[in-house]
Amino acid sequence: MPKCNNRFSLKALAAAVSATVALGVTTLPATTYADETCNSPFTPLIKGQEDVVYVWTLGVEGVGDGSDKLVTVDVRPGSKTYGKVINYLSVGGRGEAHHTGFTDDRRYLWAGALDSNKIFVFDIHTNPAKPTLVKTITDFAEKTGYVGPHTFYALPGRMMVQALSNTKDHGGVTGIAIYNNEGALISKHDMPTTKIGGVMGDGYGYDLGINPQKNVLLTSSFTGWNNYMMDLGKMVKDPDAMKHFGKTMAIWDLKTMEPKKIFDVPGAPLEIRWSLKKGDNWAVTATALTSKLYVIKQDKQGEWQSYDVGTIGNPADVPLPVDISMTANGKGLWVNTMMEGMTRFYDFSNPMKPKEVYSKKIGSQVNMVSQSFDGKRVYFTTSLLGNWDKKGKDDEQFLKMYNWNGKKLTLGFSIDFYKEKLGRAHHMKFQALDLSKLQPLAAGSQNLDSLKLALTEPKGK
Amino acid sequence: MKVIRALRWLSMASVLSSLSPIVHADTPVNLPIPLGLPPLVIPASNPLTQEKIDLGRRLFMDRRLSHNNVMSCGMCHVPEQGFTSHELGAAIGLEGRSHRRNSPTIFNVGYQRSLFHDGREPHLEDQIWGPLLSKNEMDMPSIGYVVEKVRQLPEYKGLFETAFNGPVNAERLGQALASYERTLVSGNSRFDRWYYGGEKNALNTKEQRGFQVFMGKGRCVTCHSVGEKSALFTDHKFHNTGLGWERTMFPDRKSYRVQLAPNVFVDVNAKHLKPFEPPLPDVGRYEVTFNPKDSWAYKTPILRDVELTSPYMHDGSLSTLEEVVDFYDKGGIDNPEKSPLIVRLNLTSEEKSALVAFLKSLTGDNVAALVRDARQAPENLPVPAQDPSDTYLDLINASQP
Repeated sequence: MPKCNNRFSLKALAAAVSATVALGVTTLPATTYADETCNSPFTPLIKGQEDVVYVWTLGVEGVGDGSDKLVTVDVRPGSKTYGKVINYLSVGGRGEAHHTGFTDDRRYLWAGALDSNKIFVFDIHTNPAKPTLVKTITDFAEKTGYVGPHTFYALPGRMMVQALSNTKDHGGVTGIAIYNNEGALISKHDMPTTKIGGVMGDGYGYDLGINPQKNVLLTSSFTGWNNYMMDLGKMVKDPDAMKHFGKTMAIWDLKTMEPKKIFDVPGAPLEIRWSLKKGDNWAVTATALTSKLYVIKQDKQGEWQSYDVGTIGNPADVPLPVDISMTANGKGLWVNTMMEGMTRFYDFSNPMKPKEVYSKKIGSQVNMVSQSFDGKRVYFTTSLLGNWDKKGKDDEQFLKMYNWNGKKLTLGFSIDFYKEKLGRAHHMKFQALDLSKLQPLAAGSQNLDSLKLALTEPKGK
Repeated sequence: MKVIRALRWLSMASVLSSLSPIVHADTPVNLPIPLGLPPLVIPASNPLTQEKIDLGRRLFMDRRLSHNNVMSCGMCHVPEQGFTSHELGAAIGLEGRSHRRNSPTIFNVGYQRSLFHDGREPHLEDQIWGPLLSKNEMDMPSIGYVVEKVRQLPEYKGLFETAFNGPVNAERLGQALASYERTLVSGNSRFDRWYYGGEKNALNTKEQRGFQVFMGKGRCVTCHSVGEKSALFTDHKFHNTGLGWERTMFPDRKSYRVQLAPNVFVDVNAKHLKPFEPPLPDVGRYEVTFNPKDSWAYKTPILRDVELTSPYMHDGSLSTLEEVVDFYDKGGIDNPEKSPLIVRLNLTSEEKSALVAFLKSLTGDNVAALVRDARQAPENLPVPAQDPSDTYLDLINASQP
């Protein structure tokens, strides 16, 4: 594990963010790098071709060893094992494996389990083709009172973890935990439950995304353990269960970790993607239930506002928008709909009026979407949640890679995760075999290391 | 200096304490019975003591009593939610496995003459083994596994010896939990003060009118009994209202009204939900007795604190008291084994509204205190680093040739 001190504080974060702005290191890339837009701006990127794709996979009883596992797939064109599983690492048990996130140096991958509340830390730099499990955090719920470690988002020297639920009633009221890179809990921050900016906070959480240029953290809201662990069909038919979904997003002051404004975004706003185009000041999300695209954008007065900018499919058919992936130039957005097994590409040249320009059925169900940096390769996986995935013949579980020429998707390879006795394919992350190729998101900046130092050095040193 | 001296004293006390043998304690508890409730029968084999109640409360809230350390009794019987769950019609258990029925409130559970909606368990002391061992609840692998796990948890060290003068075993686990649950008596409601206490203004006119409907045209009292000196609002019997019959015999609908957001509803075609779990069949009391007359019959619930215990019915399919009253006003759902006690009522809207108002007067005056008392016990405690059965085997292997 990388060495870093435990004396991180909000003040240190505030100082670092201020330094970030002052040093001008937040110049985000205007190149056509993609997918990694969902990574923290403090995470370095791969330049060019990704070498392996990690798939955080849910164990399924009766499928292989039945355990949650990190699957490694070789995606190097020309490799003898191109498009094949080259390694998997079982962590034991079925804890509802879900999302992962890189540390700020991209040397470790944190992976969460929404039911067991375990957080697994994998070494992905010693041998990126064969990750090793170096630490398991088992006291997330005990220490924080939160349940369901969902989003892992790097801060310099730290990891921000957005939870989904709580240990008191398994409802949706939850919060954010901040760890240092060694896995020690630094602080916790409850999601807002008071009225801020005229809108009452629901206390729910889902995703988070930082815009360091604006010193803002944006959060979204989903639902608690009671719902995300329930069979989807049973839940939809349960009127009381359906009353308990998030309906807000919140803008926080990143320096102080204080929520500053709450937006009314009904229908469970999920993934958050900031546009990385230089000068842009907006983020987008999709609501799972109401099938809407919302943009959170600063108005002319600099005030953050939310805008309903479009509908995805027919909400009455429950298309269930799930993962989204924004191109690095902020002009295109992939949107997956779980129930339809469909992906759609939206022209986001005008974020206030996105246009659907392409769609394709990927399978009987589809959840995650990740693009390569140049946007030419698009990867899809199938699993949403263990009990929200379809049953029977519609329960396809795969990783598919498509080539994208700007007009259509062409299948590159496909891996059947059931045939391979692996389980349910969920979150994907790319990695390079040679980490010296990693580039900071603030491409060309020499100040990122200084920024990290500011956050991790003990005070007074 | 005072602080240092105090720390030294504490340290010394701690050492002395660790050297001292555990002292068995039987601090008797004479549970005060609120107005409106009958005397509570405490089994002679399990007299109430403070030590057992405290231990039972701790066990009730401890999430480690499930196989994967996620579910406690209190996660489905949430204190702040009327010791049931407002968020779920039918409960879910370990790994989200579906349950067929709603988590019943455990307010006044000490008065129940049988446990579970189908009454399959006669004794509160034995009831815990149902949820603890059920695959779709807490999924503990075996009775011995539970006992061994609790024995190994450091937070329970000495507690069973203090409460029972002996180590943890299956019987004592049940006795401790039952002791705590028996303390959840809730009465002295506004209704009690009006009807049994003679406070004329404790109920308003509408609520009094609702009581008239309850006792008369509404026929509620036929099953939800009211006595001269006390009322549990149950006959402790099982009745077929038709709800369970319909859910099992005709589970499919063409569409479902689904809430997507506050005030946003759509009708979802059932075909979209085909790839998911079908409704689980449930034949009610018949599953216990195998008597066809008991098909789709479920226990009459105690109505005390009913405004706090939504959603309603054995499967939690009705969200509000208004929906419940409407259901009975229509005479339930006709089926071959429907209880003859359930007939169409033809209540006016005024009568229905009054009836709901009356039901909301049945909330005990000590609910907040019971919630605070429950939350004395921590729900988050360290999870064992090693599976308890492995730890047990390590100990045995080390001590035996």
